Amino acid sequence: MTDALLELRGIDKRFPGVRALKDAQFDVRPGEVHALIGENGAGKSTLIKIVSGVYQPDSGEIMLDGAQVEFGNPRESHSAGIATIYQELGLYPELSVAENIFMGHAPTRKRLGFNTIDWEAMEAEAEALLAELNIHNLDVGAMVGTLNVGNRQRVEIAKALSLDARILIMDEPTAALTESDVEQLFSIVRLLRERGVSIIYISHRLNEVFELADRVTVLRDGEYIGTKNVAETDEAELISMMVGRTIKNLFPKQAAHIGEVVLEARKLNRPPLTRDISFSVRAGEIVGLAGLVGSGRSETAQVIFGVLPAESGEIRLNGQAVRITRPSEAVDYGIGYVPEDRGHQGLIREMTIRENTSMAVLESVSSRSFISRAKERALANGAIRQLSIRATGPDQIANKLSGGNQQKVVVSKWLASSPKLLIMDEPTRGIDVGAKAEIHRLMSRLAAQDGLAILMISSELPEILAMSDRILVMREGRLVGEFTREEATQENIAHAMMSEEARQAAGAAL
Amino acid sequence: MQETTPAPRNPTVSEKLRRLIISQEGVLFLIMLASVLFLATRTDKFLTVDNLLQQGRFMTEIGLIAIPMTYIIITGGIDLSVGSILGLAAIVLGWTWQELGFPLELAIITAIISGTVAGFVNGLFIVRVGVPPLIMTLATLALYRGLAEGISEARSARGYPEWFFQLGQGEFLGIPTQLWLLIFAVIIFGIVLARTRLGRALYAIGNNETGARFSGLTVNRHLLFIYTFSGFMSAVAGYIFVSRVSTTRSDMGTGMELDVIAAVVLGGTSIFGGAGSVPGTIIGVVLIQLLKNGLVLAGVTSDATIVVIGSVLIFAILVNNFIQSRRGEG
Ligand SMILES: Nc1ncnc2c1ncn2[C@@H]1O[C@H](COP(=O)(O)OP(=O)(O)OP(=O)(O)O)[C@@H](O)[C@H]1O
Ligand SMILES: [Mg+2]
Repeated sequence: MTDALLELRGIDKRFPGVRALKDAQFDVRPGEVHALIGENGAGKSTLIKIVSGVYQPDSGEIMLDGAQVEFGNPRESHSAGIATIYQELGLYPELSVAENIFMGHAPTRKRLGFNTIDWEAMEAEAEALLAELNIHNLDVGAMVGTLNVGNRQRVEIAKALSLDARILIMDEPTAALTESDVEQLFSIVRLLRERGVSIIYISHRLNEVFELADRVTVLRDGEYIGTKNVAETDEAELISMMVGRTIKNLFPKQAAHIGEVVLEARKLNRPPLTRDISFSVRAGEIVGLAGLVGSGRSETAQVIFGVLPAESGEIRLNGQAVRITRPSEAVDYGIGYVPEDRGHQGLIREMTIRENTSMAVLESVSSRSFISRAKERALANGAIRQLSIRATGPDQIANKLSGGNQQKVVVSKWLASSPKLLIMDEPTRGIDVGAKAEIHRLMSRLAAQDGLAILMISSELPEILAMSDRILVMREGRLVGEFTREEATQENIAHAMMSEEARQAAGAAL
Repeated sequence: MQETTPAPRNPTVSEKLRRLIISQEGVLFLIMLASVLFLATRTDKFLTVDNLLQQGRFMTEIGLIAIPMTYIIITGGIDLSVGSILGLAAIVLGWTWQELGFPLELAIITAIISGTVAGFVNGLFIVRVGVPPLIMTLATLALYRGLAEGISEARSARGYPEWFFQLGQGEFLGIPTQLWLLIFAVIIFGIVLARTRLGRALYAIGNNETGARFSGLTVNRHLLFIYTFSGFMSAVAGYIFVSRVSTTRSDMGTGMELDVIAAVVLGGTSIFGGAGSVPGTIIGVVLIQLLKNGLVLAGVTSDATIVVIGSVLIFAILVNNFIQSRRGEG
C-alpha cells in the first residue's frame, strides 16, 4: 500500500512459551482512525508496543513514510511522532497532574544560567491541554494517586496530546470511562483526525469501532485475519473473525429466585463520596450500580468492603448488624470484591496466576498452615479452563498476561472464595466478547443456583441493563434513583446519572 | 480460544538442576565455594574442622537475627534496632540477675521478654501510627541503646555460674551448642517462609501491600508479628552473646544491624521487598563470616577485609540483577 503512513509487515514476536505475533501485518493511513480488535491475548498490545518501541520484533519490518525504521526504545518512537496511551496506566502516582503530563519534556526557562523547569508555564499549559479535552474540573496540582481511574486516563490522554503526535495509539482507552466520558473522548479523537492525526484504536467494544473507526483490523492468536472498511462490515462478521465462531448471547441472564436480604446498608456515611446510602441486595439478585466516574460507586463498594470504613451508618448481613473496619473482616463475613484497579488493587502482578487465584482463599488450600501447591494448582487450572485464560500455565507471572487475561484472574480469585455477597467493580473491563459472555453466564448461574447476591458496578449501560434485576443510580456520593429491571431503560438511567453534569454546566455558565 | 492453553509441562530433572544453579542461592553457593577454596590455598589454618566450627559459633547471633530480618525486608521494611535490642536484652539479663537478685533462669526470661516487647513497640508504631520502618527503628536504635546504657550505668556484669556458659561455649555431639539452635531455626523458619500462609502473606505484602489488603490478608497483624519476632530473636541472640563472652556490657551488638542487613541482601533478598529466602540469607551469613575469618587468617588487614566483603556484596548483587532480568525475559 503506497498511501500508508505507517506499515508493518511480517511481524513475528515470541515470548517464552508463547508466540504472541505470527507474520502479523498492519497499516495506518494519514488522518484515519484504524481500529485493532481481537480476543484477549490475541497480540494487540504486543503489536502496538512494537510500534511504540517497547518491544522489538523478532522479524518483520516497520515502514514509516515509506522508509524502513527501527525503534530501539520508546524515545525513538516518540521523536518519530508516535504517542501511545498504554492499557496499563503508566503514571507516577506521587506526582501532580501537570508533572505527569509533562514528564520528560517540561517547559523550561533559564534561571541563573541553568535550565530549570518553568512551573507556572507547565501548569498553564497543562490546563490548556485539559481544556482542549473539555476537562475543567481537574486540578492540575492534584497528585495523580488521589485521582480515580477515569481521571487518570484523562491525564494520560493529555500527556499524549502534549507530544504533538502524528500517530496516536490508544490501547483500550474507554475501558474505564462511562458513556458520557466516552462521548467526550470521541469528540477529541474526531478533532484530532480532522487535524490529520492518525489514530490506532484498540477496544473490545464493537459499537465504538462502528462509531469511530474508518477501518478495522482483526487479529486472532497472533495472526492477521483481515482488514475491513467499517462501512462494509457488521458486528457479526467481526465477531466471527475474532473468535472463529459466532456468539449468540452476550448477556445470558437467567431468571433467579430472589431470596432473603443478604446485604442491607443503612445510612452509610463516609463523605465526600458516600453520603446517606441505604439499599439492600437479596440472595440470587444482581443489583446494578450505575453512575458517572467519580459519582462514588467504587467508594461505596469500598465502604462495605472495609477499605474505607463507614463513619456512621449500619451494615447488616443476613439480618445481623456487623462492623467492618478492614477488608479481612469483610472476607471473613463472606464478602468478595473485584476492585476497579486491577493492577494495583486486584492483582499482585509480580506473583503467579496460582498465587493470585488462591490469595483470598489461602485457608481452604492449606492444611493447618501449610499451603498445598497441588490444591492451588488445581484451583488455578480450573480458573484457566473456566474463563479461557490465555497463559502458559498456572505458574506464569500475572504481569506477563495480556490485560484482559489479568482481569480474568482477578475475577476467578473472587469466584474461588465462594462469597455470599460479591461486589464487582467493572468486572468485564477489558475482557473480550467471548469471555465476557462467559463471565456473565457465571454471574447468572451463581445467582440463580447458589443464591449469590451480586452488586455490580459498571460503566457500560448495556451490561447494567441486561444483567441487573434492579438498578441503583449514584450521583455525587448519593443514591438518586432506583429502577426495577422492567422500568429501566437506557434513557432514564442515563438521565438519572447525568443531571449532575447538566447542573454543573449550568453552574459554569453563570 | 480453547486450544490456546498448552498443557502444563513438568520440568525435567536437568531443567530443575539448571534452575537451581542459576538461582540466586545457587550462584551464591558457588561464590562461597570458590571463596573457601581460595582462602584454603592462602592459609592452612582456615580449612580445619575446628576453625569452621568456631566460626559457626561466632556467626550464630547474626544468623538468628538475619532470619526475622529476611521476613521484614521481604515485606519491604527494615529493622535497624536489632543490635540495640540485643544490647538491651543482654543488659537486662545481667542487671536483673546481679542488681535485682532474680534467679538466673528468670533473668534470662525477663531479658527475652524485654527484647520481644521492644520489637513489639517498633511494630506497633509502624502499623498503628504509620511511622516508616526506617524512621521508627532508627529512633529505637538510639532509644534502646540509651536505655541499655542507662540501666547498666557503665558497669558490666560477670561471674555467671558454670551452667550458663553451656549455650555459648559448650558443645553438643561435637558441634557448638548454639549452632544447633541456628540450624533448627533456619530449618523451621525457612519452611515457614516458603510453605505456609504466613510466608505467602509476607511476599504478597512486599510486592503490593494494597493488593494484599484488598485480598483480605491481615497486613497489619503480619507486620506487627514480624517486628515482634525480630525483637524476640535479637534478645535470644543477646542471651547467646552473653553466654559466649561470659560478661555483659551495654555496647554489645553495636553496629550489628549492618552486618545482618548485609548478609540478608547478599543472600538475595530484595531491599525493595517481595523476594528472598532463608536459605539465601544463611548462605549470606556464612559467606561473610568465612571471608572475615579467612582473610584475617591469611594476614589481610581488617580494612582490606571490609573492602573485599563490600566488593563481594556488589558482585553478588550484580549477578542477582542479571539473573532477575534474564528471568524477566525468559
Ligand atoms: N512480557 C511478556 N512476557 C511473556 N508473554 C507475554 C508478554 N507480553 C505479552 N505476552 C503474551 O503475549 C500474548 C499477547 O498478549 P497481548 O498483551 O498482546 O494481548 P492483547 O491482544 O493486548 O490482549 P488484551 O485484549 O487482553 O489486552 C499473550 O498470550 C500474553 O500472555
Ligand atoms: Mg492488551
